[in-house]
Amino acid sequence: MDNDTRTQETLEIVSGLIREIVGDELAFDGPIDFDTKFSDDLELESIEFVALAEQLQQRFGSEVDFVKWISSKQLDEIIGLTVGECVEFIVSCRS
Amino acid sequence: MSFVTANDVRFHVQVLGNGPGPLVVMLHGLLFGNLASWYFTTAPTLAHDHQVLLYDLRGHGRSQRVPRGYGVASMTRDLEALLVDRAGKLVLVGHSHGASVAMRFTIDHPERVERLVVVEAPSPPYRTLELEQFHSSSPEHILKAMPVAVQRMLEGADRRADKFLRSIAFLLHETSLMNELADEPEFTDTELRAISCPVLCMYGTTSSCAPMGVRLVRSLPRAQLTMLDGGHYLHLDRPTELTRSVTEFVHA
Repeated sequence: MDNDTRTQETLEIVSGLIREIVGDELAFDGPIDFDTKFSDDLELESIEFVALAEQLQQRFGSEVDFVKWISSKQLDEIIGLTVGECVEFIVSCRS
Repeated sequence: MSFVTANDVRFHVQVLGNGPGPLVVMLHGLLFGNLASWYFTTAPTLAHDHQVLLYDLRGHGRSQRVPRGYGVASMTRDLEALLVDRAGKLVLVGHSHGASVAMRFTIDHPERVERLVVVEAPSPPYRTLELEQFHSSSPEHILKAMPVAVQRMLEGADRRADKFLRSIAFLLHETSLMNELADEPEFTDTELRAISCPVLCMYGTTSSCAPMGVRLVRSLPRAQLTMLDGGHYLHLDRPTELTRSVTEFVHA
């Protein structure tokens, strides 16, 4: 699988997990894309982030250490975090 | 998502790591806290060498919203029930009310606790007047009372702010939490002296809880006090320094 295909596939997985976790409360119109921000656009709560981390762990196993990656970031970086950065991190762990 | 029923309450539990060291249990504080307080800060570092167990206290995060049982004694029963299948030594790490629960557990089960980290445990009885003012506050006032970092996370986020305020409003108005806090007994010197394991006490220089840190190092047989520049919410104000100090102490 080439990198573009893998990236697109990972975006679909992450996007699906977010919709599953937030459910009907999702207050974001339009597709979840690379530029979509977890905080400003999706308004993900801290405990929803935990659920996302758990789901990613289940999906990708220990090769993707999302919790460690997030915990290495400063608050400003977390607030500005995009879905694309998350996808790129996952792809980099798996390539 | 992992849920465990213990002491008749359904708890949201997360486990990180699988290291050889003793099990680390991390407890968050009341109202603004949930297991994410530790999950995205200090827990991942400890998880290199330990299995780390985190849970949302009753009524908080994704744990069951129950009308009562928010005092230290009741929450200590929760911790006992959650650990019922876990033999062996423990390291307990608690913030605020969670630190009081960790202290109470250590007093009741001194043989179980190898090391204890007390971050910003308040000095009960809680100042009743402050609590009453808080109790009757509008959502806007409650927001202003929150740590700046939390306020920033909520800025312009209607869904998240609404959900957050609803969870706090539930605890303040639909549970006995405030009354239980007002009735919370002080730890006696005899009880504190019974905590014989090494204890790391961490307090913020600008926190109103800081005098409790001074009392703890005077009363606990084997305690050290570390002050960090910051307020009550050290995991938000000083996450890097907090994690470093806790990790060094746990591995000392």
